[in-house]
Amino acid sequence: MSGQLTSVLRSLVFVLFALLLCSAIFQTSGFSAVQVLNSIAEGAFLRPNAAAQSLRWGLPLFITAVGVAISFRAGYFNIGAQGQFYIGSIAAAICAEVLTGAPAIIVIPACFIAGMAGGAFWALWPGLLRIRSGTDEVITTLMGNFLASLLLIYVTSGPLKDPSGSGQQASSRPLDSSYRISDSLGVSPVIVTTALVTGLAMWLLVNRSAFGVLAGLAGRNGQMIRWLGAKQWQLGLASFLISGALAGLAGTLEFMGPNGRISSGFLPAHGFTAILIALVANTSVIGTAVASLFFGGLASAALYLPIMVGLPASAIDIINAAIALFITAKSAFVDRLLRVGRRDHG
Amino acid sequence: MTRQSSVPALSCSAVTVRYGPVTAIAGLSIEFAPDLIHAVVGQNGAGKTTFARVAAGLVRPEHGQITVNGRPLPTGSVPKARAAGVELVHQSFALPPSFTIAEAMEFGSTRPGGIFSARSLARRWKSHLRDLDISADPNSRIRDLPIEIQQGVEIARALVTESKLLILDEPTAVLSPSGIELLFDRIRRLKSMGVTVVLILHKIREVLAVADTVTVLRGGKHVAGPLPCTELESASLARLIIGDGTTVREGGDIKALTGAGAPESFERTAVPVTETPARTTAPLLEIRTVSTAPDSEGPPLSQIDVSLQPGEILGVAGVEGNGQRTLVRAIAGHADLISGTILFSGADVTRENLTERRRQGLRIIPFERNTEGLSLTSSLWENWSSGALLQGSLLRYVRPAQMRASCDTTLSRWDVLYHDCRQSAGSLSGGNAQKLILAREIDDEARLIVAAQPGRGLDVGATAFVWDALRSARDRGCGVLLISSDLDELFDISDRVLVMLSGRSVGEYSAPYDLQAIGAAMTGANQ
Repeated sequence: MSGQLTSVLRSLVFVLFALLLCSAIFQTSGFSAVQVLNSIAEGAFLRPNAAAQSLRWGLPLFITAVGVAISFRAGYFNIGAQGQFYIGSIAAAICAEVLTGAPAIIVIPACFIAGMAGGAFWALWPGLLRIRSGTDEVITTLMGNFLASLLLIYVTSGPLKDPSGSGQQASSRPLDSSYRISDSLGVSPVIVTTALVTGLAMWLLVNRSAFGVLAGLAGRNGQMIRWLGAKQWQLGLASFLISGALAGLAGTLEFMGPNGRISSGFLPAHGFTAILIALVANTSVIGTAVASLFFGGLASAALYLPIMVGLPASAIDIINAAIALFITAKSAFVDRLLRVGRRDHG
Repeated sequence: MTRQSSVPALSCSAVTVRYGPVTAIAGLSIEFAPDLIHAVVGQNGAGKTTFARVAAGLVRPEHGQITVNGRPLPTGSVPKARAAGVELVHQSFALPPSFTIAEAMEFGSTRPGGIFSARSLARRWKSHLRDLDISADPNSRIRDLPIEIQQGVEIARALVTESKLLILDEPTAVLSPSGIELLFDRIRRLKSMGVTVVLILHKIREVLAVADTVTVLRGGKHVAGPLPCTELESASLARLIIGDGTTVREGGDIKALTGAGAPESFERTAVPVTETPARTTAPLLEIRTVSTAPDSEGPPLSQIDVSLQPGEILGVAGVEGNGQRTLVRAIAGHADLISGTILFSGADVTRENLTERRRQGLRIIPFERNTEGLSLTSSLWENWSSGALLQGSLLRYVRPAQMRASCDTTLSRWDVLYHDCRQSAGSLSGGNAQKLILAREIDDEARLIVAAQPGRGLDVGATAFVWDALRSARDRGCGVLLISSDLDELFDISDRVLVMLSGRSVGEYSAPYDLQAIGAAMTGANQ
């Protein structure tokens, strides 16, 4: 437990550092740091409706991030969540298109399955390349992101194109309202339930199944598990596929919920924020839930910043980048800080 | 003694090092006289390696002072220690495997930089290597070198800075008997060149063979020394190392453990429990004319036959790198068999995978404790439970709290010293880490135990523990295949010894063991 507490504390310290750094940046570029931080807090949590807005962004992020965390645990560095998210949304959109006219009770589950299968497929080929020929999955999943973006542009300006589109951004035809799982606000019983079920299932898988313990071991030392008769690649690939499927599920939720359609280049930072969340949470499922709400809050505040303090919404990207910077940097300094703290408290 | 008359080459006074709650060294004060070969001995956890790391600047002590040739050395700085002439050769070699020897030398020198060609590097370091009697081509890559030469290069690397004080941390652990001789020659040569050498060693026989003085540490404290080796008997030194607290062991065991006996005088102390069971029962393990495909992990097996009865310890002797690793991989089902069959209790398991073989009672203590045996960054309970977790459905419900509780019970039965089973396996000392593996592998269902170098790098007490564990497993009817390059170990506890050479079995011996004959078989001199 104390190990887990330390890692949570460590992440908090990183986030704090990142906020301090960003405050300094904002202050030197002529904004009041206090005011900026204040309006972030307001936009994220304090304003009426802010909690719902934070959930709207946080829930899909959580679903993707928990998948990323599971692949990280098993030793696969899946940075293709963005591409898996896109392919999932494309697969769901195609499924909805094909089944148009069928009752919602059939179409919605079918789209969920299609989306998850699409995301899993986008994780499958990098996984197989890694197992068969040792191709680094960092490279393949990253390339997969570009391929998925291009594919998204193709389907939204080709087969699924909305002919009545305004032309600014290529989009698919809007999903029939009877198939929508939420309005544009993006928080509905279906979405909340999906996130809760996913979270619970993944928590059980990680913390209460033989698979969870063994995949964790495989991620840290695959050789050792091999000497006990495990097939390390099976554990790894299974985790990798789960990771892709969950990103695909998040893509499906975005398509059938708040967006109601897919557009070329929509939510371009979703998968990367999810990676950041998994890192901040140190791949723990509960930590991922907490961190997702925090980053969901930041995303919600991003829309609020231009109105309140005249900062562009991309100021939030600076904060995200700063957190990423501190999280991935060597943590020896922070570790020492925490150790000093521990000694003081006895 | 020269100690009083001259300034000590290395002295440390009242040095204390703590790692978290563990005190590795407590108030250690030693002085080493110049131009001699000093040995530092002690059990695992005695603080030998920590002492070496403090002297080399890798670890900053909480208290205490280090002086080199009378001048105080700022602690905790490797560059400053190197500037003062202190060099450390690590137990596990630290040279980049893809470098050539000359590149490694250049890399190790304190004034790198400048532009060089492969030829100029080779020229620069050739004479240095020749001075140290290292005959390898400076352009050959580290990874292609035999282990003795690698160590020689490691020592040469440490001496590029004209070091005056060389510390070697357990240099003999990885060497064959002839490699040890070569190392000792090298060390004597260094002494004649005016280098003070501090050797961290395990075996009393080796200490007495090479060192001028010996210092004994126990539990992070200074026990005795530096004592001149000429006035020392191996038995009293063994007592100093082990202390009085431990149980009195059989005389043969203690000699074998500390390497104190002359090898020729070995008598068998392992009492055979029963006469070998009647041959009507199928052997526990039978390997019939197995050959494997060559791969990158070691020499292939060629037409090897091994047969192991229940209630028997079969030792496998051989110079390292003669197919022992492949043999273990073949038994585990990890090697690519070209021909032959492997049978467990008469049933053909050649096509079965390791999970199925483990279900039938196969247990393996792998060669590499820290990479193959344990996941060091994972917790103790995860490491312990992994073997059982793999038998059964991957999706079944498990209760970590329950597993932790039974892990605690088992580990305390196996005498593992730890705080909490959620601590990482990497925080255990070598002996405790090996006990953790034993606790996992020697369970009630174990029938065939393959122990690969189980005592390597362990101190006397821990090694004795491992031997006892293997013996008691044998006594309750398990078959044990013990692979070791330590003949003392093999002679002491094996019922039979098989010698491997180039992937083949070249002879089988039973007690009383003839060291000459076995040595000849190991090196192929009898062919």
